[in-house]
Amino acid sequence: MGRNELLAQLHEAAASPKRQLERYLAEGRKAVAVAPAYTPQEIVHSMGLVPMGVWGADMEISEAKKYYPAFICSIMQTILELGIRGEYKGVSAIIIPSLCDSLKTLGQNWKYAVKDIPFIPMTYPQNRKPDYGVKFTMAGYERVIRDLEAATGARFSKAALKESNRIYNEHNAVMRAFAEIAAEADITAAQRSDVFKSAWFMLPEEHTAVVRELNEELKRGPRAKGDRKVLVTGILADSPNLLRAFDENGIRIAADDVAHESRQYRTDVPNLDDPLEALARKFSAMDNCSLLYDRDKKRIDYIVEQARQHGAKGVIVLMTKFCDPEEFDYVPIKRACDAAGLISLNVEVDRQMVNYEQANTMLQALKEML
Amino acid sequence: MYTLGIDIGSATSKCILLRDGKKIAGSSVVAAGTGTDGPEQALKMVLEAAGADRKDILYVIATGYGRKKFQGADGEMSELSCHARGVHFVFPDVRTVIDIGGQDAKVLALNEKGRMMNFAMNDKCAAGTGRFLEVMAGILKMDISELEREAEKSADPASISSTCTVFAESEVISQLSAGTALPDLVAGICQSVAVRAAALARRVGVREAVCMSGGVAKNAGVRTAMEKELGVKILFSDMAQLMGALGASLYAYDAVRDRETSVQ
Repeated sequence: MGRNELLAQLHEAAASPKRQLERYLAEGRKAVAVAPAYTPQEIVHSMGLVPMGVWGADMEISEAKKYYPAFICSIMQTILELGIRGEYKGVSAIIIPSLCDSLKTLGQNWKYAVKDIPFIPMTYPQNRKPDYGVKFTMAGYERVIRDLEAATGARFSKAALKESNRIYNEHNAVMRAFAEIAAEADITAAQRSDVFKSAWFMLPEEHTAVVRELNEELKRGPRAKGDRKVLVTGILADSPNLLRAFDENGIRIAADDVAHESRQYRTDVPNLDDPLEALARKFSAMDNCSLLYDRDKKRIDYIVEQARQHGAKGVIVLMTKFCDPEEFDYVPIKRACDAAGLISLNVEVDRQMVNYEQANTMLQALKEML
Repeated sequence: MYTLGIDIGSATSKCILLRDGKKIAGSSVVAAGTGTDGPEQALKMVLEAAGADRKDILYVIATGYGRKKFQGADGEMSELSCHARGVHFVFPDVRTVIDIGGQDAKVLALNEKGRMMNFAMNDKCAAGTGRFLEVMAGILKMDISELEREAEKSADPASISSTCTVFAESEVISQLSAGTALPDLVAGICQSVAVRAAALARRVGVREAVCMSGGVAKNAGVRTAMEKELGVKILFSDMAQLMGALGASLYAYDAVRDRETSVQ
């Protein structure tokens, strides 16, 4: 397949998660919804189940307002809204991690609001790096395994997990390669987003095959024009209108620190005898994310360093409205960017936002400055 | 040679007709913004004021929220760049511009050449914008232009939330019920706008000289509150509301010169 066909295939998957779900169900497979930001997808996959990402959708919220106040993350609200409306019908369970306060409330509300899809909690430790933290994570995984077995009838085996860990590591490598290739390739912000978004709705082995082929095509294809390069950071960057503003203003995404995108693929599962411990060790090794506790806030330097390495002249902070972990990090990010001579913009994003005219004005001003 | 800058905002349309890149031949302000016939009216008025004809204009740059919709423009630029350029033309020593318009607030950091080096815009929220003043004036059954005079009489400004227009609205109603004097209430409202914009200014970094532009800058109550909040003198021009259009007309002049240079 050529570049355009591959991108079209990924766009199709990114734009139609329900169709993807129906396809897997029609093949006789069972699917499990996985909520943001990190869940043990390797476990789900190893049990022969299809992990399907649920990150909400750009939509008006009505039903979920019975459970949520107005001032809370709209990603959570729209996940619940879609659950109540029956849009996830067909999945056997949903795994919701405990990585922020909003996610904790999502799990609790889910139990009452969406009774036909069992809620499986994944409780992570705050201190994930010490051995006791790793043991805590493993205990969380064991609970997930028990609940998955009960909800789906599937069985867990360490041998299968070892293979799934390998498949996910392979996917990580291909996605990391894509991010680097896309930084220099002639690809739009929307196409780049499709590649990351589609990963949430395809089996990793299928996605790896398509993206690997795409990487080769992009390497052979034309280079991107212009040097208005930025690093984008935030939880989510998939709004078509927002991405269009990048493209219209000739602002290229040279690298990202987006939870929905590159943050997923930075850390591999180490090769240990016990694959479950290896998976817990992977979580303990993960860093540079607002949702993962780090008293030293190494993420700040990481962002500046990534921006420098990729020749970015600015850092665009896509601030999910009412996301306190991201808001806490914003001030040191801005200070670090100022000190490094990087322009930083704070663009507010929200699942209920359709009009990105203000973001467009900011990006146009950035273009004019550069 | 005439060049035109047209700034089509959410609440008003403004034009500046510039002669030879130096002299302001005419200006107009119409209280009707994007999506109305305000831009056309503003254009007609500025031509009448300058005694010029549409065909005399060599280049038009549109700016403001309606910039992409205006059919008569040769180009468009963001209002941030245009305000920076307009303010630098009037006040070359200004390094910080606080621009508060009908629906948003912006703070721009300029270098000595007037080039914008950094900026910040408000969140998608009416608090700290002209719309906030409009809503508050509506509750008090006052014209927005009367707020300034009333605020001057205050000795003890009331405390009004700068977080949210809806919260502030209920606070104003509570203060009215509690019998707070009107001047103190109005001064509190002006202070609320200043506090919000000052926080934005601190995010960019306040370097003197500081100037306010945009429609809200016309309100001395807000300017005085801003001076107190930031502890610096705020420069102001009668052309505050026209700075974006002025900057656009200057960029239009550059475009003509660039075109002439490329032909030579």
